[in-house]
Amino acid sequence: MAVANAGSGYLQRPGGGGTLADVVDIILDKGLVIDAYVRVSLIGIEILTIDARIVIASVDTYLRFAEAVNRLDLQATDDSQGLPELMESVTSGGAKSKTQGALEGVKEKLFEGDDDEEEKEKEKSRPRRRSSRSRRKDDEE
Amino acid sequence: MTDRDTVVYVYGVVPASERPPAGLAGVGREGNPVRHVAAPKVAAIVSDVSRAPLGRGQDIRAHWRVLDDAVTRSAVLPLRFGTVMESDAAVRDDFLAPNEDRLTAQLAGLEGKVQLSVRGSYREEALLRDVVQSAPSVQRMRERTQKLPQEAAYYDMIRLGELVAAEIDRCREHDTGLVVERLAPLAVASHRDAHTTKESGVNVAFLVERSRVDAFAAAVQGLHAEFGDRIRLRCVGPLPPYSFADQIVGEAAWA
Repeated sequence: MAVANAGSGYLQRPGGGGTLADVVDIILDKGLVIDAYVRVSLIGIEILTIDARIVIASVDTYLRFAEAVNRLDLQATDDSQGLPELMESVTSGGAKSKTQGALEGVKEKLFEGDDDEEEKEKEKSRPRRRSSRSRRKDDEE
Repeated sequence: MTDRDTVVYVYGVVPASERPPAGLAGVGREGNPVRHVAAPKVAAIVSDVSRAPLGRGQDIRAHWRVLDDAVTRSAVLPLRFGTVMESDAAVRDDFLAPNEDRLTAQLAGLEGKVQLSVRGSYREEALLRDVVQSAPSVQRMRERTQKLPQEAAYYDMIRLGELVAAEIDRCREHDTGLVVERLAPLAVASHRDAHTTKESGVNVAFLVERSRVDAFAAAVQGLHAEFGDRIRLRCVGPLPPYSFADQIVGEAAWA
């Protein structure tokens, strides 16, 4: 989940402390388009698939929502459990959403290729947030 | 530039009076230097790339970095990620020259302004609690499914999920509306960007005068208090005006 620190500063520089997911969301499909007639296409397949990231409502999604609502303890006032943890507990509960999975798959691909030095520097000073899959990939290298 | 294996990646357009950045590496595995292709009034920020697919995280970051650098010095019109042309001549003759007046006018309109993106992520549990408490239909269906054995409740569970999803959409609409209503007076323009993840509650880009960036950020902070627990609101920027440069330019668009 691409949730950066809420922090106290409300102005964030994604190029600095932010996440690649922020960068991807902010720039993809945005900006001036040059007529296809005069340009060349070099976009990798993984970027094209991002166009399919519209959140599609599915039975899986509905069941996931229903389960989450049913397990809410309405008496409790402490809702300190963050979204990532909840997502995890819900998905490991069996109602894994296929659309969500597809979305993460696309983003993961982008992260895997993100091997620039700057990023590595930052990773050292920050808790790692990459998926276990891409971490495994690193280890193999 | 006649090498057929090398093509020209185009990042954006700036006024021709701007100087190209020094020592900035572009997209592609080679990370070739970023330079300008200039027409009389406007210049394209470009770098050479080999004819290989782009789209690694590194490429996206490089695209970002180049435009981020440009916006610190002047107005910049970002191009869509992955825009590539055959040669410098193509950039000048097929893109800049035929559109020069229009590009100049757009740059003039963006002068002194930056994009600030207000992004709100929902905290799912707090959101769902709000949904249950505010929607009687959800409450009723929730009680009903909790009484039924799991197999018997299958279709009711789907129905419950549909009701919840509809309520979440309403929350998005409401929260986005509130953000636009409160912040638009501090901005020149606003653009509702698409939600790209399930937890995305608010995703609005604002075009803001540079001189008002701090006031705008302070207003976002003020709004945060109004939303309470269910949303985590952030203000990302200052950015090049990615969401305010959406037009298509070229022969077909002019015809």
